[in-house]
Amino acid sequence: MDFRLIFKTALLAGEIMLRNGAETYRVEDTINRILKTTKFAVVESYVTPTGLFATLDDPSIDSITMVRRVGQRSIHMGKVEKVNNVSREYVSGQISVYEAYSRLLVIKDLEPYSRLIHILCFGIIAACFTVVFGGSPCDFLTSLIIGLILGVFHKWMESRQISKFINDIISSGMVGLLSILFTDYLPLGTDIDTIIIGCIMPLVPGLAITNAIRDTLEGDLVSGLARALEAFIIAISIAVGIAISLSLFYI
Amino acid sequence: MLSLIIKTLASFFASLFFAILFNTARKELFYCGLTGAFGWLIYMISFEFYPKVITAYFFGALGVGILSCLLAPKRRAPVTVFLVSGIIPLVPGKGMYETMYAMLFSDFESTFRHFATTLQIAGAIAIAVALPLTFMMRSSLRNGAQKKIEKK
Repeated sequence: MDFRLIFKTALLAGEIMLRNGAETYRVEDTINRILKTTKFAVVESYVTPTGLFATLDDPSIDSITMVRRVGQRSIHMGKVEKVNNVSREYVSGQISVYEAYSRLLVIKDLEPYSRLIHILCFGIIAACFTVVFGGSPCDFLTSLIIGLILGVFHKWMESRQISKFINDIISSGMVGLLSILFTDYLPLGTDIDTIIIGCIMPLVPGLAITNAIRDTLEGDLVSGLARALEAFIIAISIAVGIAISLSLFYI
Repeated sequence: MLSLIIKTLASFFASLFFAILFNTARKELFYCGLTGAFGWLIYMISFEFYPKVITAYFFGALGVGILSCLLAPKRRAPVTVFLVSGIIPLVPGKGMYETMYAMLFSDFESTFRHFATTLQIAGAIAIAVALPLTFMMRSSLRNGAQKKIEKK
């Protein structure tokens, strides 16, 4: 049995999941399940949102421990789902560790949806939420335009590797300015509040909030708190951006 | 009634496109949208019968949680996939905006009121999401998934 490869597989699976928005307890669970297939005495993993540790020990081997630091995080649910399936198949004995490892390597390099589609998403999400919060057809159109501009800008800032929080402040500030422009100076939007609320929805930290709840409930307090802080800071960033742009015109 | 249908449809598409933003696999996109629409529909119906925002959010999130837990073993995907996109329409963006707006005009009384409401909503959603997960995940999904694999 190639326990080193199993260890590498477990760590790779954990890293992919953690980088792409899985809850920390799920990452721990996956690593432990894969490592347990070695039947070794000590199997331990500790995962936080910013890095993971795993250790494997047995009287028959020198113990191995590895640390992976996870800095850049993005959201790719497709990868999480696929890694989940691979680990499930491997643990139940349907595939060998070699196949699991090679499949994980493929999953690691999966491409996200194209940038154009993401930008379109920004526009449609903003427009739909404006309707959900009670906007008129005119507001729908305004939000669609602002959302598309927001998408282009947000993606551009992201490609320049500007910190997410700064990106959120500037993007939401731009949303505020555009909303004022479209409602007060151009005869298009009618209800500025609804437009702004709809347009900032693509930026809200939905994943961080959900994962904060789930991690806390699984007793993983450190990760839960870290994610709650992340969600809170993103919310503050959005609020600050909007507040700055509104204060330029309304105070 | 018409606005109910339009809003449900809008939240369906909002959740669906949010799922694309999260790079969810193509085959799950429809179900992600369904979860979001279901949650928002329950929110609106609940608000119609008992006009308290917090209970409405509670039931909406409960709906999202239950549907996600039911879909996960069926679609053989992690619950997170459905939960994350489904909960998005319920995120209290409006509450955050109102808090910020009141603060902007130094109206600290309403700032506090809106902030407290937003926190209450967040708490209600957290509890509502937690309930189905703790009750259903432990028993049905994990064992169910395990049994399915063993059968093969």
